[in-house]
Amino acid sequence: MPTAGLKTIIALSFVLAVGFLLVILSCALWKVYYPLLVVATYVLAPVPNWVCGRWANPDDFVESSGNAVLDLGRFCTGFLVVMGIALPAVLAHSHLIDIGAMVMCIIGGLLIYGTIISFGMFFQEEQEF
Amino acid sequence: MEDDRLWKFSRPAWLNSAWARNVGVYSAGALFSLAFYVLLDSAVWSKSALNQSDVHVNFVDWLPFIFSSLGMLIINSVEKTRLSGDSFSYSGSGVAWKARVVLFLGFAALAGGMAGGIVVFVLKFAVPEVGWPMLGMGVENIVANALVGLSTVILWISQNMEDEYSYNLSL
Repeated sequence: MPTAGLKTIIALSFVLAVGFLLVILSCALWKVYYPLLVVATYVLAPVPNWVCGRWANPDDFVESSGNAVLDLGRFCTGFLVVMGIALPAVLAHSHLIDIGAMVMCIIGGLLIYGTIISFGMFFQEEQEF
Repeated sequence: MEDDRLWKFSRPAWLNSAWARNVGVYSAGALFSLAFYVLLDSAVWSKSALNQSDVHVNFVDWLPFIFSSLGMLIINSVEKTRLSGDSFSYSGSGVAWKARVVLFLGFAALAGGMAGGIVVFVLKFAVPEVGWPMLGMGVENIVANALVGLSTVILWISQNMEDEYSYNLSL
C-alpha cells in the first residue's frame, strides 16, 4: 500500500472537482437535469461493499455464510457501477438528453467513482492481522 | 491431484484464485445491470416521442424478465455444497434431494423467462410485422433475458470456485 501524502489529497480533490464540473455542466448546458442521478449512483456504488464487509464479520472462520454476504455486496456494487454508465445511455437513446451530455456525464461520473475508489484504497486503515 | 477427477483437463490455476472469483461476481452484477437497463431502455423508448407506432411496452414485456430474475435468485440462493452431499453423513434427511428440487424450479424459471422473451418477440413484434425501429424493443427483450442467463452462469461458476485455497485468500 503506497503511502499517501498531501499531493495525493490535492490531486484527488482536483479530479473530484473536475468530475462534478463535467456532470453539472452536462446538466446545465442543455437545461435537462436528469444526469445528476449519475452522481447519486456513483456515491452509492461502494456502499454495499462496505455494509456487507462489516456484516460478514471476517473473524468468523467457521461460518461460510460470510462469503455469500460478501458476494452479495460485490454483486450490488457491480450493478450500481454499470448503472452509472447505462443510465445516461438509456436517456440519450430516447433523446431525453443530448449525446454530448451523455458523454460528459459518463466521463464525469467515472472520474467521481475513480476518486472515491482510490481514496478508499489510499487511506484505508491497516486492519489486517 | 485428486483421484476422483472425471475430466482429462484440470482447471487452470489462475481460475482458482480469489481474484478471479471476485472478478466473476462483479461481472455477474454488471451483466445483470446491463440486462435490466437494456429492458428499461426499451420501455423508455416506447413511451418517448421517437416511437410513433401503436406498439408499446407494457407489463407483458416485463414478465419474462421477472421470471428470469426470480430463477437467478433461486439458483444462486441454494447452498452448492449440499447438492453433491448425498454420500456425506451430514446431509441426512434428504437435503440434497430438496436442493435438487429447488434448483430445478430455479432453472425452469430461468429457461421459462428466456422462452417467454422469445414468445413476446414472436407474438408481439415478428408476427404483426412491426417495422425496424419498433422491432428493437422486442430484440432488447430477448437480449435482456439472455444477459440474465449469462449472469447466472457466471455467478454460478464463480461461486463454485470456492475451495480452501481461495477461501483462505479472501479472508
